[in-house]
Amino acid sequence: MRNLVHTTIAAGFAVALLWLTAAPTPAQTAAYRPPRAADGHADLSGIYQALNTANWDLEDHSPQPGTMWQTGAIGSEPAGESVVEGGTIPYKPAALEKKKANFASRRTNDPEAKCYMPGIPRANYMPYPFQIVQSPRGIMFVYEFASANRLVNMGKPEEAGSDTWMGTNNGHWEGNTLVVDVTGLNGLAWFDRAGDFGGKQLHVVERYSRPDPYHLNYEATIEDPTVFTRPWKISMPLYRKVEKNAQLLEFKCVEFVEELLYGQYKKQPGK
Amino acid sequence: MRTRLAIVAAGLLLAIAPAWAHHAFQAEFDSSKPVHLTGTVTDMEWINPHSWIHIDVKNPDGTVTNWMVECGSPNIMLRRGFTKRSLEVGTELTIQGYQAKNGTNRANGSSVTFKDGKKLFVGGSNPDIPPDQK
Amino acid sequence: MIPRVAFLALAIWLSLPGQTKTWAPPKTPWGDPDLQGMWPGNMGVPLQRPESLGTRTTLTDAEFAQKEAQARKQAQADNESTAASDSKTTIGPPSYWVERGTPTRQTSLIIDPPNGRLPPLTAEEQKLRKEARGGKGFPGEWRGQADSFDDLNIYYRCITRGVLGSIIPVVYNNGNEILQAPGLVVMRNEMIHETRVIPLDGRPHLSPSIRQYMGDSRGHWEGSTLVIETTNFTDQDAIGSNGAGYPGDPGHHSVDLKLTERLTRVDADSLNYQATIDDPKTWTKPWTILIPLHRNDRYQLLEYACHEGNIAMGDILSGARADERKEAK
Repeated sequence: MRNLVHTTIAAGFAVALLWLTAAPTPAQTAAYRPPRAADGHADLSGIYQALNTANWDLEDHSPQPGTMWQTGAIGSEPAGESVVEGGTIPYKPAALEKKKANFASRRTNDPEAKCYMPGIPRANYMPYPFQIVQSPRGIMFVYEFASANRLVNMGKPEEAGSDTWMGTNNGHWEGNTLVVDVTGLNGLAWFDRAGDFGGKQLHVVERYSRPDPYHLNYEATIEDPTVFTRPWKISMPLYRKVEKNAQLLEFKCVEFVEELLYGQYKKQPGK
Repeated sequence: MRTRLAIVAAGLLLAIAPAWAHHAFQAEFDSSKPVHLTGTVTDMEWINPHSWIHIDVKNPDGTVTNWMVECGSPNIMLRRGFTKRSLEVGTELTIQGYQAKNGTNRANGSSVTFKDGKKLFVGGSNPDIPPDQK
Repeated sequence: MIPRVAFLALAIWLSLPGQTKTWAPPKTPWGDPDLQGMWPGNMGVPLQRPESLGTRTTLTDAEFAQKEAQARKQAQADNESTAASDSKTTIGPPSYWVERGTPTRQTSLIIDPPNGRLPPLTAEEQKLRKEARGGKGFPGEWRGQADSFDDLNIYYRCITRGVLGSIIPVVYNNGNEILQAPGLVVMRNEMIHETRVIPLDGRPHLSPSIRQYMGDSRGHWEGSTLVIETTNFTDQDAIGSNGAGYPGDPGHHSVDLKLTERLTRVDADSLNYQATIDDPKTWTKPWTILIPLHRNDRYQLLEYACHEGNIAMGDILSGARADERKEAK
């Protein structure tokens, strides 16, 4: 009987010891408090890049050949898991047909292939870095791809006068989360290389938060009643670039796509 | 009163080359093919570097041709208080310009007016326009 | 050491009406001089001074009155609400769709050399300009050839206007916005949606093996003046209005260009933008421009999606092919 008591007490101590020394789980360290920026809010400044294949396809995708066999494995598509909550994008039937048509014509019709500005949300998960600069005049998002950029207005929300590629961006804070309400998108950008798209009534609400020093959590709720049956959501981590002296470089790709866009109009030799 | 649409002749003191002297409109449009179109607006594309108004023009034989008319940068119009909702579908416009060299139904809109001769997008009511831009 | 041109710029600035002599800008919350704001450009000053004006940096009262009168006539023409039925059209957008500036007395953007004109080209650069593209010369102004997209200059191609072409004022969309954050200054230009994020932390430039249209900028403070040094240029952009050079001058420079910009806020609503162009391969001497900028916080930078809307490029090329077919008949 005494051995049983001793064993129980020893077991109890062991459990207590294990509990005290166990590596903290994420739930136990949820209290990371981001440093404050000059505006008094969570500091989200930095250079970031997504590390997934959402730019190839937001939904689940198996590895598959690309659009030009001449580029071999370099132009082929890697596998990836869906970043869409629930897995699939809730297209209306006619819109799903348009997505399939987009996919079939993607080599020449993907706006990324034409070096067009990527729009929101796609700009945030392109395979190129972007920079967040938190300034008293608003929060700048500067994207390396095609020198796209947008200034998020943190004052009184403004209405879009006309529709643009990078939208009209009105932001506010909810605690440590930056919420960006994006309207005035022109419906011409795609969401990925698979032909996913929104229309002229596209409305995106983004949420950026900093769970630890090295990541942002990015969520975007997407709605367009002309395209989708209901609003839907994507989410993913964005990774901070930690190289010393990290900076954006330039990717002005217009000259790389002129042959694609205008080659058919060139003077043919001998004519 | 005669309206001068061309740049006022500059003396040495002004010596400014207007933007469109650099953008060779004559590369795009044919000065031997002037057009005078009257039609109704079907769409307005508020895009850069130039916006485009789409109009349905009734031809003498009763058929309808849709023309694309090149206009200025939308940024200026927005700063004058005109937005994407300012030009309604169905508005009747008169265009004077020149047709595209490539023969398509595109023209530049050197003069774009309403039926009564009033210029499109002049006389903005935006109180925030800086005085030197009114 | 403050270069001679800075004093020259100040002298010109002081001679323009309404300038105060000493003024210290407020500081940002983290202690940097505050240059933030919307500073749209004001068109109306030519790059080079007419030779007849010699070393005069400002117009006389009589000359200025003439300039103002011309501007008033032009504004009247622009704002006529109706077009006369016999009005002649020119090939171009309606003249009322411009944002002409307010006349000023500055005789040229170039303030150094003292005659307000470009220094001579080096012999090497003259040869380059003559022999470029098999003797066709650099694209520059369109001269009628449109065999391919690269017969047009980078302004037509909507690639970029380069650092200077993005700020030299033109007929519209002259928006320039400055934002600041600790250790950074952000320079935005409306055309073509350029945004330079300029570090102030003294880090070195990129390796010379990396070349960029907008170069690679590094900033530091000299008193209340922001000094931005930019290197790592390609030789593909053109210095000049619209980033396309000027009539007769394709604005070509070498990869060795070193650009030094100096931004000084001289009062609450005025910012002096000065830039020294130092490219010994192209010009025999450095030269400096001064663009006075005025605050207008009601002005909004609007997206200028040039390439995305570049219908003209396809039409220019197909127009040239149509002309050739016509001539062949």
